[in-house]
Amino acid sequence: MSPSRVVPLTFARGAIEKIAKSRSRRADVKSTRVLDVALFYSYFKTLVGKPVTVELKNDLAIAGTLVSVDQYLNIKLENTRVTDEARYPHMRSVRNCFIRGSVVRYVQLPEAAVDVDILHDATRREARGA
Amino acid sequence: MSAAEEDAAVREPLDLIRLALDEKVYVKLRGDREARGRLHAYDQHLNMILGDVEEVITSTETDEETFEEFTKTTKRSVPFLFIRGDAVTLVSPPLRS
Amino acid sequence: MTDTWHLSAVASLVENLDKRLLVALRDGSNIIGTLRSFDQFANIVLESAVERIIVGKMFSDIPLGLYIVRGENVVLMGDVGANGDLDGTEGLIEVDNAEIIRAREADQTAEAMKGDILKRMDFLDE
Repeated sequence: MSPSRVVPLTFARGAIEKIAKSRSRRADVKSTRVLDVALFYSYFKTLVGKPVTVELKNDLAIAGTLVSVDQYLNIKLENTRVTDEARYPHMRSVRNCFIRGSVVRYVQLPEAAVDVDILHDATRREARGA
Repeated sequence: MSAAEEDAAVREPLDLIRLALDEKVYVKLRGDREARGRLHAYDQHLNMILGDVEEVITSTETDEETFEEFTKTTKRSVPFLFIRGDAVTLVSPPLRS
Repeated sequence: MTDTWHLSAVASLVENLDKRLLVALRDGSNIIGTLRSFDQFANIVLESAVERIIVGKMFSDIPLGLYIVRGENVVLMGDVGANGDLDGTEGLIEVDNAEIIRAREADQTAEAMKGDILKRMDFLDE
């Protein structure tokens, strides 16, 4: 067995258990950090399965179906298509991807999935609570 | 204080943004970008969702032959746009008369 | 396991374990490697990593070995080979490492020269 084989896989399991644990802890404690991101995190969760276009700070724009999102607003997309494929030849073989939340500039939202009244109410609630 | 009074109070900068909810706002972003649109949601990171957005990108380009520099503005419209707060440099609520 | 667990984007990287992934970094480089581990910050471990450089119609993979990438430098990660059997090099010509580095340098020099000529012509504006 090569050493690189031994280290990472066990490392991965440990990491996953750690994430799971910190998640269940977070569910009990109503910390402000959760409130911080709750509005957009909750909102993006309602968009799972819908088409979005994510525009990154490096100007790459990726259209695809939203698969999942987490509290950092990391995003996972399926059936992705890069808008300007000629400029980003590396992306040609990629059809699903994980995007780190911190590199996102914009997300274009599907018109049908935006209920502005719900957004207004949620925003006012969040502003009061925080 | 009633909920309505609570909503109208201004104590900190972000309270001004709350008063701009459902109004047209001007947002300046990193990378010489600007967006104008109706504010539908925001949080304390200044993540926001704007509707009927017009985005303007200002860039300096160079003429291939004369090497003259000129500024180019690119405009586009987006129905609904989520903007990540860390790219936002300023938000201007509508002027009240 | 709860629903929120399944919805978590970082957690779903578990599906990519032991698969070849393209990782785009903030400095613009593109690394391909086998995902062996990750954590909640998206720090990742890539085995048999290569840097794929594409210049025009040429490409080359530069071997890097075992790479641990700090999460904040990750822009995105995508499955390579998830698109049928395409691996993204179709229509490209594979060249050796030295040649692609020369090609990239030539490319960068051309860009830099453009800027240089511009600078020298600045006096025209006065």
